[in-house]
Amino acid sequence: MKTICLLFVGVLAWHGASLRGADNWVRYTAQPGGGKVKVEGTSTVHDWSVESKLIGGFVEFDPGFSFDNARPGKVNARVAVLIPVRQLKSDKTKMDTVMYDAMKEKDHRRIDYRLTEMTLKETPKSPEGPFLFDSTGELVVAGVTNKISMPVTMTRVDDDKLKFSGSTSVKMTSFGIQPPTLVGILSTGDDVKLTFEWLTVRKELPAK
Amino acid sequence: MNSNETAELNRRDFLKGGSFATLMTVLGGVELIGRSPAHAADVETLVPFQVKCGVIGLGTWGREIIATLSRLKTAQVAAICDTYPASVKRARNSAPTAKDFDDYRKMLEDKEVQAVIVATPTHQHREIAIAALQAGKHVYCEAPLANNIEDARAIALAGKAANKQVFQAGLQMRADSQRRFLLDFIRAGASGKAVMAHAQWHKKQSWRMTSPNPDRERELNWRLSKDTSLGLVGEIGIHQIDAMSWFLNGRPTSVTGFGSIMQWKDGRDVADTVEAVFEYPGGARLTFESTLANSFDADYEILYGTDAAIMMRGNKAWMFKEVDSPLLGWEVYARKDQFYKETGIALIANATKLTNLTEKATDEASYTTKPLYYALESFLTNVNAVGSAVEDFTANFGTGDKSALEKYLSEVKLQPTANYQEGFEATVLAIKASEAVAKGSKLALPKEWFELA
Repeated sequence: MKTICLLFVGVLAWHGASLRGADNWVRYTAQPGGGKVKVEGTSTVHDWSVESKLIGGFVEFDPGFSFDNARPGKVNARVAVLIPVRQLKSDKTKMDTVMYDAMKEKDHRRIDYRLTEMTLKETPKSPEGPFLFDSTGELVVAGVTNKISMPVTMTRVDDDKLKFSGSTSVKMTSFGIQPPTLVGILSTGDDVKLTFEWLTVRKELPAK
Repeated sequence: MNSNETAELNRRDFLKGGSFATLMTVLGGVELIGRSPAHAADVETLVPFQVKCGVIGLGTWGREIIATLSRLKTAQVAAICDTYPASVKRARNSAPTAKDFDDYRKMLEDKEVQAVIVATPTHQHREIAIAALQAGKHVYCEAPLANNIEDARAIALAGKAANKQVFQAGLQMRADSQRRFLLDFIRAGASGKAVMAHAQWHKKQSWRMTSPNPDRERELNWRLSKDTSLGLVGEIGIHQIDAMSWFLNGRPTSVTGFGSIMQWKDGRDVADTVEAVFEYPGGARLTFESTLANSFDADYEILYGTDAAIMMRGNKAWMFKEVDSPLLGWEVYARKDQFYKETGIALIANATKLTNLTEKATDEASYTTKPLYYALESFLTNVNAVGSAVEDFTANFGTGDKSALEKYLSEVKLQPTANYQEGFEATVLAIKASEAVAKGSKLALPKEWFELA
């Protein structure tokens, strides 16, 4: 049975050492300038958002995966993504400072994600069309791991690139983060929305 | 945000007074008169990062820099350096845990030191600043950058080439958010059309320092010799003249200078009383006066406009409106200070709040609101932004793709400060003004002289 690999990017965790996979898995690696992640939230005064263009990590496909003959169903893939917290910035430095403190950035410098399961829902209607997936994975923020599910879109770019995008909502408190409050001024809302776009490029894995 | 929430916000800060100031700070606003710590919100107590700094040159200004850094929680003075042991000992009082060096090269070898502040006599900047940049350190180089154009150009070009590092020129007013607030105010037309400007720096003092050691005494008195010093107009006036050029939005096209030794006839060849007139493209002229023979009225800058004159003293400013200028509205309730027959409207955020009416016009600025404080604070913030961007980028993508790193760095938002270009231009102006003063003549300033490349 053909297995289909699906990669998607959201927030991924780096799992380098443990990913001693089978030979011939095809790896797509993060490229500088190819990523954008946005975290949007609310407060009693105004909405806020922080962004970063630095997303590191990679996506790997099972060698059996074929883009042209993909079929809906479970997919074999590995995804590891990492986002340095201090690169997430708004245009207000003081708000960023409060955020890094709430996320305990000094001890937990990265947001990590690792994929646990992927399912292809829809194949593309045209060669440049999107693959639609459902994904489940582990998101690690401020040292706390939570399972998150997220729909992801993947499109092929040129011969060797894959672009991923998706979004999900999480609660700060589920990661042990107290929504920051500036006493007497504003308090932030618990719900935040994560949105990402990620371009990865195929690299040949060295022979094992 | 719906209109109910806006109304909530306005009512809440009207009642709470001080917290609005904090909100303004948090949302990027600025105050001209520093607030006491009692008004600060919790956000002020967070220490987001720390930069390990080294200070090279521990004279009066070097020690002032160390004292200011010790009040910045994002700074850690990790190293101090001077060729003169007594200076090191004296500086150590403000930086008890710093490593001390007598050779700046040894300090540059220390991997712990991330940023270096060069506060030596002007003619020694070049060698040290360039070596520091080549050693991979972030550099804050005091102004004027050098006492001759060739050295100034070398330093500025080195700063430009070091694009993975921060290079900031010591024109502290350019980094002062309070001055930026004034700049917007003036550019918005609050003073009308600028017709004239004036700046002065008066302080009765000799500048001569003594030392039991004759070699050391010669070194200490670098300001009194025309071979090493740019005099009052170049070493001191550079800040005020550059600030006025900034406000007048142009570079002078000529400078006429006069200078003489009126009081301190002790063998020096640098004037102790100077005047300089700068012509600007719009037609306005700036007159600069400075003397070591009289202290009246210390230092200030005034911009004379058709609607109002704006006077700036350190971190305080006042607006003196003309009788026929349009009413802005808020000035009716603003705090006012009397200067003989003139009524100055204090230009501070929340000028109409009751709390401000009790502050005195002559209250001394504390360390935490002087331009040097803001300049160093911005320097450290930029060092952290650039340094962490380089670190995180290379950790993820390696060092192979240099142009990708450059692109990433070009998008990092930095605090506004004086960069290599502004530092170079101000230094050229200081050098030429000093020449004009020494000759007692007019010098044209073609714009090619201010071009770096």
